[in-house]
Amino acid sequence: MQETLERLRAEGRALIGDADSEQAIEQVRVALFGRKGSLTALLRGLRELPDAERPAAGAALNELKQELEAALELKTEGLRSAGDTAAGAGADLSLPGTPPAPAGSLHPLPAIVREVCDIFHGMGFSVADGPDVELDWYNFTALNFPDDHPARDSQDTFYIDDKLLLRTQTSPVQVRYMEQHRPPLAIVAPGRVYRNEAADASHAAEFFQIEGLCVDKDVTLADLKTTVREFLRLLYGADCTIRFRPHFFPFTEPSVEVDMRCFACGGQGCGVCGRTGWIEIMGAGMVHPNVFAAAGYERDAYTGFAFGLGIDRIAMLRYGIDDIRLLYENDLRFLHQFRGVR
Amino acid sequence: MKISLNWLRDFVTWDWTPEELAHRLTMAGLNVESVTPYVREFPGVVVARVTDCRRHPDADKLSLCTVDDGAGEPLQVVCGAANVQAGQDVLLARVGAVLPGDLRIRKSKIRGVESHGMICSAAELQLAQQSEGILVLEGAPAPGTAADELIGCRDTVLDIEVTPNRPDWLSHFGVAREVAAISGHLLDGPALWSPPKTGGDRPDFPVEIADFADCPRYTAHVARGVKIGPSPRWLQDRLLAVGARPINNVVDVTNYVMLELGQPLHAFDLKKLSGNRLSVRRGKPGTRLLTLDGVDRELTADDLLIADAAGPVALAGVIGGADSQVDVNTVEILLESAYFDPGAVRRGARRHQLSTEASYRFERGADWDAVEDAAHRALHLLQELAAARIDPTVVDRQNPDRREPAPLTIRVAQANRLLGTELSMSEMLAYLQSIGLKSQPVGRSGGRQGGDGKFMVTVPSFRRDLHEEVDLIEEIARMHGFDNIADGAAFRGGAGVRRRPQDELAETARGYLAAVGYSEIVTSSFMERADLDRLGLTAADPRREMLAVRNPHSGSETLLRTTLVPSLLRIARHNVNADRELPFRLFQLNKAFLPGGRRPAEVRHEDERRLPQETWTLQAAVVGRGDRVLGDADAGLLEIKGLVEALSAQLRLPLTLVPQDVESYLQPGCQWEIRDERGAAAGSAGLVARKVLRDMDLDAPVALCEVELGNLDLAPAAPRFTPFVRFPAAKRDLSLLVPDGVGYDRVQEVVREAAGPLLQSCVLFDVYRGSGLGEGRAAFGIRLKFQSAKGSLQGKAVDAAVDAVTAALARTLNVELRG
Ligand SMILES: [Zn+2]
Repeated sequence: MQETLERLRAEGRALIGDADSEQAIEQVRVALFGRKGSLTALLRGLRELPDAERPAAGAALNELKQELEAALELKTEGLRSAGDTAAGAGADLSLPGTPPAPAGSLHPLPAIVREVCDIFHGMGFSVADGPDVELDWYNFTALNFPDDHPARDSQDTFYIDDKLLLRTQTSPVQVRYMEQHRPPLAIVAPGRVYRNEAADASHAAEFFQIEGLCVDKDVTLADLKTTVREFLRLLYGADCTIRFRPHFFPFTEPSVEVDMRCFACGGQGCGVCGRTGWIEIMGAGMVHPNVFAAAGYERDAYTGFAFGLGIDRIAMLRYGIDDIRLLYENDLRFLHQFRGVR
Repeated sequence: MKISLNWLRDFVTWDWTPEELAHRLTMAGLNVESVTPYVREFPGVVVARVTDCRRHPDADKLSLCTVDDGAGEPLQVVCGAANVQAGQDVLLARVGAVLPGDLRIRKSKIRGVESHGMICSAAELQLAQQSEGILVLEGAPAPGTAADELIGCRDTVLDIEVTPNRPDWLSHFGVAREVAAISGHLLDGPALWSPPKTGGDRPDFPVEIADFADCPRYTAHVARGVKIGPSPRWLQDRLLAVGARPINNVVDVTNYVMLELGQPLHAFDLKKLSGNRLSVRRGKPGTRLLTLDGVDRELTADDLLIADAAGPVALAGVIGGADSQVDVNTVEILLESAYFDPGAVRRGARRHQLSTEASYRFERGADWDAVEDAAHRALHLLQELAAARIDPTVVDRQNPDRREPAPLTIRVAQANRLLGTELSMSEMLAYLQSIGLKSQPVGRSGGRQGGDGKFMVTVPSFRRDLHEEVDLIEEIARMHGFDNIADGAAFRGGAGVRRRPQDELAETARGYLAAVGYSEIVTSSFMERADLDRLGLTAADPRREMLAVRNPHSGSETLLRTTLVPSLLRIARHNVNADRELPFRLFQLNKAFLPGGRRPAEVRHEDERRLPQETWTLQAAVVGRGDRVLGDADAGLLEIKGLVEALSAQLRLPLTLVPQDVESYLQPGCQWEIRDERGAAAGSAGLVARKVLRDMDLDAPVALCEVELGNLDLAPAAPRFTPFVRFPAAKRDLSLLVPDGVGYDRVQEVVREAAGPLLQSCVLFDVYRGSGLGEGRAAFGIRLKFQSAKGSLQGKAVDAAVDAVTAALARTLNVELRG
């Protein structure tokens, strides 16, 4: 018996050693452990041994079986990883990747609108909107622009007729929204606005703004400053320096203009900032009591702040676009540079 | 508004550099846009005395002068002026001097005689437009004194952006008032003419004011014996520094006073006025006025005029008439200083498309009290500079019903409530005091809040922009400094907010389209009328009715678009012409404007009903895909169909494509109507017709789709999970011979019906046409997938279903199995 076992061990090891493919391994497995395999035959033969020898022989046989099985397993593993090496051998990892179908791109203007709305969304502002074709009343009168007043000159207006016009600002949304809602309220309203002027590198007859409005019982100018500062920190990063200086808008009082330290020159003065070291980025102020009155609120019941900013300007500053007309030309050589912009 | 710092120093001082002053003014609301030096210097030009002067030996018209330029050695200079004489003090440009216009003085030989410099004329120094002979100095300092000390100028000019509410800042004195407020220094006034006690009203020159609403105040003074001539150098320099052009002393004085005090003045040549009377009245239709700018203007009943006995002599507050203007022969002047109604001046200026320095200021509101001060200032200067004698009697017509505005009340608590500050009443009073507003507490005195916590403010005539409490609160904030208002607690909107469904949908659509290869464009809201015909819209198409802009800047018709299609085709054309690689893909999410489409139930303003319906439209296009797929189908057409189907899934909008000719600009038979869940039209898709491409000058095939988002339910219900079959599926491929005219939709329909409930899907994977199939037939390769919820399918059951399918196809569509 012992002899038989030793012979089988040698034979099995040789067979396993010679097998050079997974197929050959499979044949060896059958030859050893299959129904007609040599080891199987020996196991079957155990029955015929005397009772006294049987346990010892069984144990020895089992040991051999486990040994050969392990060897087979090892050989299989070895063959498999050898195959991996063979398949990967010689791969030129410097070959260009195969791209998926080419992606399109988002236009920078709606992309900035989304980004700004997102920031304000996180600060608790809802999104609202209003019509492009507006009533003179909402665009001017309700916003405390007197008739026949030079304040209207700053906004050359496309008129449809005496009463209808293309809105020159997103501010009419303030009054429309307040007519429909009671405070506390906080909204931003993005949209397209129109100015009746010839286009050049920094002016377009159509461009985009975002209006903001926040009204409650005791909203203060200090709150406005905080909100604006927080927004600009989120949009431009922690290191942006801003200042608030007095300005004039008919529909806010006090009115402020918000300037940001020129990122191009650091405040020394350059072409980007018109040599002032500062870049005007938004107008803002405390809602004028006449605007509350126009919206049907009591003049003194609430206070609030409003602000407006130009989307085109943010996009131009951010992406280094030096001519506003590029934004509306829609040349693919321009658009595709914004692939991946969300 | 340009402000000369030299000029400003007449009234106030400060302790800052020009840049610091500019910064402080900016932070007080006078946005200084630039700080520029104004320098006029004459390097190398000095005072010199002509010690000897004799005829040039070889030229009659030239003189040979010996001059003392203070340097010790007498210089020999050749001079061509007729008026040169020994003993004169002159300005000598030494060798090496550079005169205005970059004229460099060199040692030269003139007709054989050396000349060591040039004796200058006023014109050569650009002190005058033209001059006769050399400039001879009266009472000149010692020879060798630099000319700069006599005629040089060094100034700094601030360019200030003045907002329309602050006409008082359109003057040097007004800006000085602000500088005094922020610097704490005292404000000085200019020198004025004082009317003699014997003066009083002038009865011999009646001024009739037709309507005090148009002109609540009109003053007129007469100056006689005026000597017209150039203004002195200092005055010319100040005008030049701030961008005004010196003309003659009288005109210059009126401009100077306007720039100094903000009040526009007008000087008439008294002798050119007829009838010794004036009236301020509206125009008579049909009359005309030739104005100073040389334009002959037709007048209307809306124009506010100054008229003499013969007719109009000025467009009030805007521009004077040419026939009564001051010229070199003028000796008597009528000086007008008035308060014209801002609206009346603005309407006149706009009607005549004329904006003058005067109208600009009157439109913004003149200063009632400055009307007289400005006249007195100008008269003082005319006495000094034009030797004028001023008539003691004056015209000063005023609206007898005019009322001073009531003092404004301001609540300390309200100011702090709005600003988020804790300012005391005395701090507020001090801030208002500093800008010239007189105020006093109301009610009980004492306490930090000053009695009732209210005070009254009297608004001076130069601050009529202050109408109410909040205007004063702004002044307090301005003087306190916005930077000194501490930021508040971080404000949050309060209640939580969610994105609106339309915004969610827009973001999903934009992100998806960009990911699958479409580039977003932003196009103009305007279109051309010719686009309607280019698209072939029928006469009855509602999109033919467009809103037009009444006052387009280009002069050409400006119409609000009723469809986005032309804009998309234009951008496609731009990129095709720019040689972009084809195909490319575009999309836009923009508005179209349909007049009369809006039907608001309830409106606050009747005009609201006339606003157009503004429809958000999503449009996508494949440009330049003309290849054939699946036999001979147009690839662009199928891509755009696939895109609509994919969008429908991605946006969870149940859109269906129904083959139907709906748009004139799409090729017949190559288009679908897009319908929503209820079967209502929501858009279209298809191939743009070749004629339209030709008319749009677009040299590439375009397939486009358009979905109007306005009427769709943009917040579809969340998906409901349905259990799926986990038993394996059986697949069978069939090759069908399909007669022409039978569409895949029919084949699919018959297959679905005949296959029974086991059929999971039927997919077309190939279409083949060609020889070997016989005429009029195409081969469709379809793959059927069968599956049962009850268990693994037996081959027999699948065979039976396939047999049923082939039988039904043969019976109903005459479709045979191939091979
Ligand atoms: Zn800069």
